[in-house]
Amino acid sequence: MIWKIIFLVLTVPLFGEDIYFTRSGTISFFSSTPIEDIKAINEQTTCVLDLETGDLSFRIPIRGFIFKNGLMQEHFNENYLESDTYPNASFTGSIEGWKDITLTEKLQPVSLKGTMTIHGVSKDIAESGNILMKENRVIGAATFKITVADYKIKIPKIVRDNIAKVVDVTVDLSLKKK
Amino acid sequence: MNRFLLIFTGLIISLTAQDDILEHIDEGTVSPVPVQATFKATRIVNSQSIELPRPKTLEFMILHRFGSMGNGFYDLFGMDEAAIRFDLKYGINDRISLGAGRSSLNKTYDIFTKLKILKQTSGGSSFPFSLALFSKIEISTIDQNLPMNDQLTFDIQVLAARKFNPSISVQVMPTFIHRNLVQTAEEFHDLLSFGIGGRVKVTRRVSINADTFFPLGERDESFKQSWGLGCDIETGGHVFQLMITNVQGSFESEYIENATGTFDELNLFLGFNITRVFSL
Repeated sequence: MIWKIIFLVLTVPLFGEDIYFTRSGTISFFSSTPIEDIKAINEQTTCVLDLETGDLSFRIPIRGFIFKNGLMQEHFNENYLESDTYPNASFTGSIEGWKDITLTEKLQPVSLKGTMTIHGVSKDIAESGNILMKENRVIGAATFKITVADYKIKIPKIVRDNIAKVVDVTVDLSLKKK
Repeated sequence: MNRFLLIFTGLIISLTAQDDILEHIDEGTVSPVPVQATFKATRIVNSQSIELPRPKTLEFMILHRFGSMGNGFYDLFGMDEAAIRFDLKYGINDRISLGAGRSSLNKTYDIFTKLKILKQTSGGSSFPFSLALFSKIEISTIDQNLPMNDQLTFDIQVLAARKFNPSISVQVMPTFIHRNLVQTAEEFHDLLSFGIGGRVKVTRRVSINADTFFPLGERDESFKQSWGLGCDIETGGHVFQLMITNVQGSFESEYIENATGTFDELNLFLGFNITRVFSL
């Protein structure tokens, strides 16, 4: 009997899950004002999707956002997102109605619901995205908007006209099986 | 009984396994990232900081020192006079920068380079400090009759800095200066000194900075140890540095070896540096 339990303990973590993941997901954001456009790309996003439950988790290292202008990148980290104190942004949630979704090679829209944490501030969000499965990879994409003030990111008066109050965020993922 | 035990074990496993699904792929390793913004500008007060112009960025710097404050309101604490320096620096990549400048004091031109040798990193197997090499050739053109060789001064500095936390950074600077020409027989051609500087951030965009150079070896009687006390103010694309110092020249051979100011009669200098960057 005891061997059965040991067998169970050892095998459940191996067979009990259907985990897809990436460590190099792309997240970019775009801030557009009449004065200037600011863009940054992060290609170090970690994302995990549990194909059994539809649970989804993101971890986005703030230092991974690359700007064309190095000074902007420094200010983004030092003054706005304070990446020394809050090194990662995260999203933990799930895909709604997962039981009724069958992944195919065709793009299908899905709704996501969960908690987004940026700059140490957590907020419940609901956004939509697209998902498909091709060549044993789960491909996901989403675009949505983030209101900077929601996450207590303070923008000083002097650059208030240069930075948009709402920025566009684009997510592109290609997950492989663990 | 045994069956219940089996089911119970299975349940416990399935419950504990699902805390955060990110744990499924975490190996507990964090890759180190370079520490950035040890200082806000490429100067601490007078001295060079560990910072280089950013890659593909041209940095224009104005270094302005007023006259001695000793005359008080007569010339508004030195505001009527000025020693000014302009320099342009370019960051070729994140390790190599080149620059050239001109200072009104002794009509001095110079070319210089700053190389980042080691980078402080945090996270994972972190590295504790950054190291840079600064070297410079100055050409003093105030005396046109001198041969070229006698107008030259050389400067080599090793800059080692550590950002202890987001607000406190400290830098040490062993320095070697060689003057091809000295004014009197008592003066030395080769001079060694040890600089130390640092900053404390008081708000996200303002810091208090200080630096000084301790002489190593002999100096003549008139030598005074140089120091500077300043404040960095960062706006969008500029860094303003306001300071009070006991030296008027803002290039290496002057601010390290040729300080003149004393607290007696308030013979000190007010000044400012402005840094503007252009992305190319």
